[in-house]
Amino acid sequence: MTEGESRRDKSYPFLEIPRSFLGRLFGPLLRERKTLAGVLSWIGLGIFLAYIFLAVFAPLLAPFQQTQPFSNPVLQSPSLKYLMGTDNVGRDVLSRVVWGARTSLEIMAIGVFIALAIGFPIGLLSGYAGGMTDRILVLIMDSIYAFPGLLLAALIAAVIGKGVFNIGVAITVIYVPLYFRVTRNQTLSVREEPYVEAARALGARSPTIIFSYIAHSVIIAVPVIFSLSAADAILTAAGLSYLGLGLEVDTPGDWGRDLSDAQQWIGVGVWWTSVFPGLMIILLTVGLSFLGEGLNDIINPNLRKERA
Amino acid sequence: MLLILLTVVFFVLRVIPGDPIAALFAGRAPAIIVEQTRHALGLDQPYYIQYLAYLGQIFTGNLGTSIGELFKGQTVLSVLLQRLPATIELAVGSMIVATTVGVLTGLVGGVNRDKPIDVLVRLYGTIIFVIPIFWLGEILQLVFAVNLGWLPAQGRFSAVDPPTTITGFYSIDSLLEGRIDKFIITLQHLALPCLTLGLVLSGFFTKTVRANLLRTVNADYVEAARARGITFGRIITRYAFKNALIPVITVLGLQFAILFGGAVLTERTFSWPGMGSLLLLSINGADYPMIQGAIVVYAFMIVIVSVIIDIVNGLIDPRVRY
Repeated sequence: MTEGESRRDKSYPFLEIPRSFLGRLFGPLLRERKTLAGVLSWIGLGIFLAYIFLAVFAPLLAPFQQTQPFSNPVLQSPSLKYLMGTDNVGRDVLSRVVWGARTSLEIMAIGVFIALAIGFPIGLLSGYAGGMTDRILVLIMDSIYAFPGLLLAALIAAVIGKGVFNIGVAITVIYVPLYFRVTRNQTLSVREEPYVEAARALGARSPTIIFSYIAHSVIIAVPVIFSLSAADAILTAAGLSYLGLGLEVDTPGDWGRDLSDAQQWIGVGVWWTSVFPGLMIILLTVGLSFLGEGLNDIINPNLRKERA
Repeated sequence: MLLILLTVVFFVLRVIPGDPIAALFAGRAPAIIVEQTRHALGLDQPYYIQYLAYLGQIFTGNLGTSIGELFKGQTVLSVLLQRLPATIELAVGSMIVATTVGVLTGLVGGVNRDKPIDVLVRLYGTIIFVIPIFWLGEILQLVFAVNLGWLPAQGRFSAVDPPTTITGFYSIDSLLEGRIDKFIITLQHLALPCLTLGLVLSGFFTKTVRANLLRTVNADYVEAARARGITFGRIITRYAFKNALIPVITVLGLQFAILFGGAVLTERTFSWPGMGSLLLLSINGADYPMIQGAIVVYAFMIVIVSVIIDIVNGLIDPRVRY
């Protein structure tokens, strides 16, 4: 047991139920910044913010125009002028990779936020209501969860068509069960807390209890799921693009399609068109999973007890 | 569970806003053909009638007839059965790679807790899990097929005469034929796809085995064994390891969902003629019955796998009773 743990154990529990959502998130993050989990979280957060920066300022950061074919010599290996080389139709790989960050984060944001908006409230209601409603919802969500997410997303993408927004919607179906599950399980345990019972005894109505008492407590689990599902969403979106089900050809940047295009040139030793977009995906997904797993260690009280 | 999965598939294909037939043709066919196709498939009838027809089809094993260019006139089931062995071969091979690599790394990490090698193992587990499968496949192709020339990069078989089809599994067929040379060619073709998919999946096993090993090492019976003077190595191999595997097998089922999804990507990277590439062909060819059939077969596979896992779990852990 570390010093920090024992100090916390002596403090009164209600002092630990603090403040705002951000306070509850960043308080432990700051306190545990020297532990392995803390360091990983901060590295992950840094990488994520760097990608957001890249995505927002893509037009300024990309050295070349990246969609017009044959604006540069084709298949140039990396050089000072083309830091990551050019592809088979003469597009600058670096510029495409930078714009890819924007596309990728857009899709991820659409997918993950819709999943949150659906999964979180349903999870709250299901956990609070219990009984038959709960059992049916859990069964449905578990079945969706057991099915290969990529297949389901591919199917939906094929039905609703290509494009950034459509792909975002298509991958949503994978993450709704995830948010649902976590929210529901948290709700189940929070529902039995004395303060919820106190609220009920004071005559608070169910909606009030659910949305201001329970949600307030349960929402702290969301950042963990957010990071992990965001990493997965980026992989899935790239996978759909790779399969040719994702985005239109003229999308300003698309890592999955670039990797798919690059494949036919591997045989003749053109490595830069596949290596760099892949590394961009990996760095971002690794960053997000560092953040997610770090946060999970820090915020999840069960794990914390187990570590002690 | 099967019923719910099938219902979800039905829901996705029919009820979600958007017109699957029109979307699949993507403007390549005149409106009259779209309309005819829809009528021929009974998609212009009310949902509940469609749903009953759909369930009836599945449980009689009649999945319809292909309407795509490639398999026109063949029954969906026969095409699917031709493709299925390739995917199962890939899946089994990948699972072997994943469990071997994952259990070994997890064991090494768990035994050397918090030493540098453990930190490396944990990083491996996290990073390998979020590497895009197709990218890893391309890199492995680049290294082992293009630069080193050790292994073939594409397909299931390269010589002129593939093994005679008996079971459809090339590895089994070549042995049944008594042709070791064909068996070796088959394994060479399996190597890179299985390595790709297996490595990505291994990260999960690394993490779970490590975490469970740490949990069992702290258990009372391990302490008791230690008190009796049994060496640490023996405790790990004889006591802790087996118990650490039980929770891994329980969550194995969910890994198959990732496995089948990943197999679609792997099949594309290595031009592997399995279910995944069939599904893509059907989506691009607007072959609606084939798409539906492929998805139904995937659902069946998921359910079969989870039943098998439940049985295995019961065999390994005598406490589990159904």
